[in-house]
Amino acid sequence: MNSLEIINLNVYYGNRHVIKGINLKIPQKVVFAIIGPSGSGKSTLLRAINRLIELDEDAKVEGDVRLFKKSIYEMDPREVRRRIGMVFQQPNPFPHMSIYDNVALGPRLNKLVRNKEELDYLVEWALKKAALWDEVKDRLGDLASKLSGGQQQRLCIARALALKPDVLLLDEPTSALDPVSTAKIENLLLELKKSYTVVIVTHRIQQAARIGDYTAFLLDGKLVEVGDTAQIFVNPKDRRTEAYITGRFG
Amino acid sequence: MPDRRRAKEIVFQAVVAILTFSTIAPLLHIIFSVFVEGLPVLIKGGISFLTDTLAPPSDGLGGIGPAIVGTFVLIALSSLMGLPIALMTGIYSAEYPRSIIGRAAKILLQIMMEFPTILVGLFVMELLVIPMGSYSALAGAFALAVIMMPYVAISTEEALKEIPRSYREAAFSLGLSRAQVVFRVLIKMAKRGTLTGILVGMAKVAGETAPLLFTAGGSERIYFRGLNRPIGAIPLLIYQLVQQPYDNYHQIAWGASLLLMLIFLGIFIPTRLLLREVKF
Ligand SMILES: Nc1ncnc2c1ncn2[C@@H]1O[C@H](COP(=O)(O)OP(=O)(O)OP(=O)(O)O)[C@@H](O)[C@H]1O
Ligand SMILES: [Mg+2]
Repeated sequence: MNSLEIINLNVYYGNRHVIKGINLKIPQKVVFAIIGPSGSGKSTLLRAINRLIELDEDAKVEGDVRLFKKSIYEMDPREVRRRIGMVFQQPNPFPHMSIYDNVALGPRLNKLVRNKEELDYLVEWALKKAALWDEVKDRLGDLASKLSGGQQQRLCIARALALKPDVLLLDEPTSALDPVSTAKIENLLLELKKSYTVVIVTHRIQQAARIGDYTAFLLDGKLVEVGDTAQIFVNPKDRRTEAYITGRFG
Repeated sequence: MPDRRRAKEIVFQAVVAILTFSTIAPLLHIIFSVFVEGLPVLIKGGISFLTDTLAPPSDGLGGIGPAIVGTFVLIALSSLMGLPIALMTGIYSAEYPRSIIGRAAKILLQIMMEFPTILVGLFVMELLVIPMGSYSALAGAFALAVIMMPYVAISTEEALKEIPRSYREAAFSLGLSRAQVVFRVLIKMAKRGTLTGILVGMAKVAGETAPLLFTAGGSERIYFRGLNRPIGAIPLLIYQLVQQPYDNYHQIAWGASLLLMLIFLGIFIPTRLLLREVKF
């Protein structure tokens, strides 16, 4: 079963057509990579998938996105966002909150836990899942802003995981990080795909090649090609895909 | 050539230094003379200057107790009335900048901030003093609340708007409601700006005289008697004392001025230092 199904999706900012009739099926428990040049609509696509785009008054969405066969537009947007977690390009843990509170905020306000023990347990679980627990277990009360960039990004992953989502969206999560932190996060995503659907937007083509089971290539708001990562990289069907992955434009 | 350039540079720096000094010189002069004239009064008057009521003309220093209490009562009351509304207004216009109310509020607040405060006093006199038939703490506090609100609302709005969008999005992406995003996440990130606005507002109303003239009425010899009765305030007292021909009243006014300045700085400086800055 597909975890996400994107059906004839169009997004407009004012009268600017940014996502142009995209159809996409994203299977369960895979790393699904989305590549494409700057401005091709990758972030917009992600933001339409968890309805974050509705924060922008100018944005208009047509078409449908289905999460396990159910239209997200028939769901409460808050539920959609709980079930489809998001990690952003710049690590953005809440800088005034402790490491613990960053992870605990979502479960607390969404009333996912009944008491302090359950919350402690969930925070520990999420931090372990995000491969951060060992580095922070003795300093959970420290401000999140004291962590390194790579640690902050893993904290953001833990924050999203604490809501026990079905899908994790990541928008260029490593573009602000050094190679070591990047490698850690890539390994983490490979681990996470065992239980989640991971959708990652990336600027770095090699990143898609390294960790993507599937890769979709976006150009100017249109889906040019999608398939097995190996097939896309070894044997692209579209000349524009080939041009992009061989670095001839974008 | 380098020599001439260097000379020009020095002249330029000197001119800027002189101009800078001449702008802050009046401020320094005020602080200096308030200390020089006021300190001996406070020392001579001692504790009883803070607790006693006003002395009779040409007969010692007495104290300015009712005015001090009055100032604090007025700050507290006006905060109680003004802060909740002002905070909500600031939050509203930050959250709904394009709504008609949001835009109108923004403009109105700007006007309110520049509005002559004596007119606020007149307005409150018509609204409360005349119907109630008496000057009152309530009327004074209401006038001060009106003056305080735009500072708080605007600084709240600006502090909220300064928060990078990415944090809003992160909060929404956790499935929070708009109210939770604002009140559980963003407002705490805007703490510094908001608190600064609150303090500026408080310090401002602590020093106001004009809006109190027709509303609070003043009370030099009797302590706080109730919300519906006249109340004193330090600036109001200074204003009244300076107009009198008695030498001891002028001295009391200097002492009161120093106290007012200390209250003003006392609200301002520590909180500025204590507030932990949130870095984005
Ligand atoms: N809030 C917005 N209002 C108006 N136009 C927008 C908005 N966000 C994005 N756009 C426009 O939509 C198009 C797609 O932007 P998007 O951010 O989705 O691209 P992207 O593929 O994520 O690019 P990048 O790789 O640079 O992050 C761009 O032309 C952009 O200028
Ligand atoms: Mg983007």
